[in-house]
Amino acid sequence: MTDMLILLLWLAGLLLEFVLLVRSVQTKMFARYVYFYAYIFCVFIVSAGLFIGRSKLDFYDAWYWPTQFATLALGFGVVLEIVRQALAAYPGAERFARRASCAVFVVTFCFVEWRIARRVAWSTEAATVELERDLRVVEALVLATVLAIVFYYRIQIGKNVTGMIVGFGTYVGVSLTTLALRSFLGPRFNPVWSDLQTASYFFALIVWTVALWSYNPNPKPPTSGRGGGGYDALVHGTRARLESVRSNLRGVTGS
Amino acid sequence: MIALLLYLLVGVGLLVFLWLLARRKGAPVEGCGRQFVEARQALRTLQEGLLPDNLIQRIFDRHDFRYVMASSPADIGELFLQERKRISLMWVRRVRCEIRNLMQFHLDYSRLHAKLSLLTEIRLGLDFALLLLACRALRILLYVRGPYGARAVVGVMTAAAARVCAASEKSLAFLNPPALEAFRRDSAGDGAAI
Repeated sequence: MTDMLILLLWLAGLLLEFVLLVRSVQTKMFARYVYFYAYIFCVFIVSAGLFIGRSKLDFYDAWYWPTQFATLALGFGVVLEIVRQALAAYPGAERFARRASCAVFVVTFCFVEWRIARRVAWSTEAATVELERDLRVVEALVLATVLAIVFYYRIQIGKNVTGMIVGFGTYVGVSLTTLALRSFLGPRFNPVWSDLQTASYFFALIVWTVALWSYNPNPKPPTSGRGGGGYDALVHGTRARLESVRSNLRGVTGS
Repeated sequence: MIALLLYLLVGVGLLVFLWLLARRKGAPVEGCGRQFVEARQALRTLQEGLLPDNLIQRIFDRHDFRYVMASSPADIGELFLQERKRISLMWVRRVRCEIRNLMQFHLDYSRLHAKLSLLTEIRLGLDFALLLLACRALRILLYVRGPYGARAVVGVMTAAAARVCAASEKSLAFLNPPALEAFRRDSAGDGAAI
């Protein structure tokens, strides 16, 4: 991409972030999606700061990576927001997601530690890229787990949360793929990596602006299932029916 | 190289999930109650209409075939066999469909329970998957070997069923009898509520 186009995307990104923040105040969505808007606010401040100080190379070099990590860490807030909002009305599914996400986090963390422990040579640049990639892996796996649960339990989610998931998920998915390719292909992949990351973040901003233009909550689930019986009884009921079907199928096969 | 493939798999997998999410049609929320009633009705169809012993005996018993073969020309016997095969395939398809409804019935309710157990859900999910797989295998066998060819796979089916039963029996030990009675009492009516 040319420098001019990058500059234009940067400015357009800043504008979209600003619009998102203004709309969040107008629609009072800031209070509903606190983690998400905190992330957008921080990215906006960081991005605007770097834009203003971009002409001073020392300033840019000194602040780019620390701010990059700060926004990276805040990105977990968006994942948290997605888990919280998507499954809020489904305590069972939310509990499932929470435990599955913890398991995913522990397994990924152990895998990364194991890989680092095996490494002999170490460079700051490579470590930086790999750390970002590994953090993206955790985000991607947690998002994938939440989506799997949403599909498995046929949970309906509103436009706001769908937009958050599609936007952030696309950015994380593209970042992860390009970071993996970058660590494999080396510095010659840097221009493509940089362009794709910028483009995917810009795409995410467009999706967020459209999806979060007005408040659109998740559809409320039917409440008839909250009655008596409890989970144990439900599980037993399902098992009893399964057993009934099984015994009949055994009859068909002649056992 | 393996690590690269794993990372790419996770990244591309997430993008595929997002594509599926973006394409997903939102079911109307008010329809969920109706779906629940339909699922309950499907359960009754399964238990009372599709799985009674006499119906299964009627479809899969060789005596009818032997009688037709003994008292009619061979082409009539062939026609009988074709019809019986068609009926048995339809029966398996319906049973599979109702098992899916049963699964949906469980999922629609378990997602609302705060006490949901991760392990129990995974076990039940595997149970359902196994049973659906068994149905598919049975359908293929009926298609390939005819309505009376299923008996040849008794060993495989019995082993699969035994594994599932063992898991079920283990779980039954943890049941809470009062809750169970409440469930039975509540779900014994017209199936509209639990």
